[in-house]
Amino acid sequence: MTPPDSILLVEDDWQIREFVCIALESEGYTVHEASTAGHGAVQAGSIRPALLILDLGLPDRDGQDFIQDFRAWSSAPILVLSARTQETEKVKALDAGADDFLSKPFGVSELLARVRALLRRRHQERHDADPVIQFGDFRIDCVKRVVTRKGEALHLTQIEYRLLIFLASNPGRVFTHRQLLLQVWGGHAVDNHQYLRVYVGHLRQKIEQNPAQPRHILTEIGVGYRFQP
Amino acid sequence: MPFNRYLFVLFISVIATLLMLPIQEPSFLPNTALLYVLLVVLTASVLGRGPAILAALVSSLLYAHVFVPPLFSLAITEVQYLLAAGVMLVVALLVGHLTASLKNTARQVQARESQSRALYELARSLAATLTQAEVESTTARFLGDAVPGCQVRIIDPDDCATLSPPLPSALRETLQQRQQTLMTVGQGETGTRLLVPLIASTGLHGIMVCDLSGPQAASAATRELLETIASLTAVALERTHFADAARQSEVRHSTEVLRNSILAALSHDLRTPLTGLLGMAETLARGRISPERQQALLETLRTQAMNINQQVTNLLDMAKLRSGTIELNEAWQPVEEVIGVTLQQVKTQWKDREITLDIEPDLPPLYYDAVLMERVLWNLLENAIKYSPADTPIELSVRMREGRVVISVCDWGPGLPEQDNEELFGMFRRGCPESSIPGVGLGLAIARTIAEAHGGEVLAENRLGGGACFSLRMPVARAQYPAELDDKL
Repeated sequence: MTPPDSILLVEDDWQIREFVCIALESEGYTVHEASTAGHGAVQAGSIRPALLILDLGLPDRDGQDFIQDFRAWSSAPILVLSARTQETEKVKALDAGADDFLSKPFGVSELLARVRALLRRRHQERHDADPVIQFGDFRIDCVKRVVTRKGEALHLTQIEYRLLIFLASNPGRVFTHRQLLLQVWGGHAVDNHQYLRVYVGHLRQKIEQNPAQPRHILTEIGVGYRFQP
Repeated sequence: MPFNRYLFVLFISVIATLLMLPIQEPSFLPNTALLYVLLVVLTASVLGRGPAILAALVSSLLYAHVFVPPLFSLAITEVQYLLAAGVMLVVALLVGHLTASLKNTARQVQARESQSRALYELARSLAATLTQAEVESTTARFLGDAVPGCQVRIIDPDDCATLSPPLPSALRETLQQRQQTLMTVGQGETGTRLLVPLIASTGLHGIMVCDLSGPQAASAATRELLETIASLTAVALERTHFADAARQSEVRHSTEVLRNSILAALSHDLRTPLTGLLGMAETLARGRISPERQQALLETLRTQAMNINQQVTNLLDMAKLRSGTIELNEAWQPVEEVIGVTLQQVKTQWKDREITLDIEPDLPPLYYDAVLMERVLWNLLENAIKYSPADTPIELSVRMREGRVVISVCDWGPGLPEQDNEELFGMFRRGCPESSIPGVGLGLAIARTIAEAHGGEVLAENRLGGGACFSLRMPVARAQYPAELDDKL
């Protein structure tokens, strides 16, 4: 049996720390706590956590800085906690290297689901990716560059295809507009958010049953998109 | 050209003399003199005093030389001819003087008339000004036209120190005590600086600093004009000052009202659910209830906390919108995007409520801030859900109407009261005050504020057959929609 994953929780509010701790420990994780960014950095260096949960509103340091420093030596997933209105903070944190975010107030089940998804993804990364991605009625063959729905070929433009591949190969993961533009169009297009919205719209028309209530390509408002298989 | 006028007089005199040569007879002599007088009078009335004197002198000489015997000599033998020459000179002087002063007066009257018309225009445009800056620019523009080359600015009485060169303190005191209407402070090579205090009934409202050329500054007319303009400007400044004060007190008053409303909302609409929360927590802590009831109580506790969260969110949203610091993060995006997100979130809170969605195909993209627009839709949906029976569906529809995208949220509830629907959009207005329906009465006010910031509107109406309908109308295509990036099939 593998040793339990260790999680580092950096959060200044003790009540949130307490319930997050209880919830995670009840799921069998080992949780280390820190109430300041300074303490958190020291802890991170000594325990080398498999997952970092970071509050963006720490009193002693900017969360974005903390993420950048952590990313310099660790590839462990980072889950960011923030208030609803801090959209720009979330985007900055994600662009700096965070993997996901939760808006306060959040529920325990939501938290555990995110933690499980992040850790699962981390363990999967060790294996080689499968050239065939499947979700719902869809099957993407990345070698032949063919997308089929119930066996029927689906016509996608080059950009739609690249967008879909990138999203679908990172299920559950949130991407900022900037990250998607960089991946699909390249560095010259990172500020043209409207292109992205247009193409996401097109893609939804083609793969969603009801584009206004998408099941696969979900909007994270003010932040970006998340793919759900 | 004055020199030309004199040459012209000489020329005319010689011509007249040549014309009169045929009557070079002693019997015609008095008439000849009269003709010369006529010439002088005409010259005076047309060309003014100087040429008239010249005409008189030349005419006298020509008269004496050409007509008075002995002919072609300047000798005058009889006294009467000398008298004629003398009369000619006096008449020339008198008529010339009268004409000149008459012309002068006419010119002055004309100048005054155009000046008073200009002043009237100034007074009129000053009356239309709303801010101090507008008053300043109006006055400066006017003076620039009226006194060419004049540089004007208006400074606050307290800002005398910022003048360059600095104002001597003695002068400053004189200004502050309003003893003089106009002061010359500097006479440099480039020009003269005049200071005109702007005094209205309530005191000194500023100082007009005029930089103009030396001769202009010395002219009485310019000074008089400056004083008149100063009094007009002072009155206008006083008016804007009072208007400002009135606006500020209005803002203070509405802030006060808002603060009171927030306090009232916090004390009632938040304390009530908090009391419930507290009671439930303590009941659970006592532990004397069955596991099933315990579970139910915990579920209620969670819902209650989410309700409070929603209300706090609304209070914060409104505070942020009201503080005026909100910046729209607008972008072109399909309307489906925000609808999808909102429905997804509404469904996590009200899992069992039926919401039907009807979207017209091929709607144009809209230019909006997604985060704020989500708040609008959330509030409209929440309202509909709260104020209609739980077993009736909420109908969400999006269509194109009269060049606008209309998003309607309709319910099968009791509908809106008959009176003015606008009331509903006020802050801290509750559909049913003191009811058990949670809320602080901000949802519609927030929805409307955000919609208006986007150039849209939110309207309320009753639908046929009962129920209420709230519709968000958004403008379409305010700017060029971006071209799509190159993309191949």
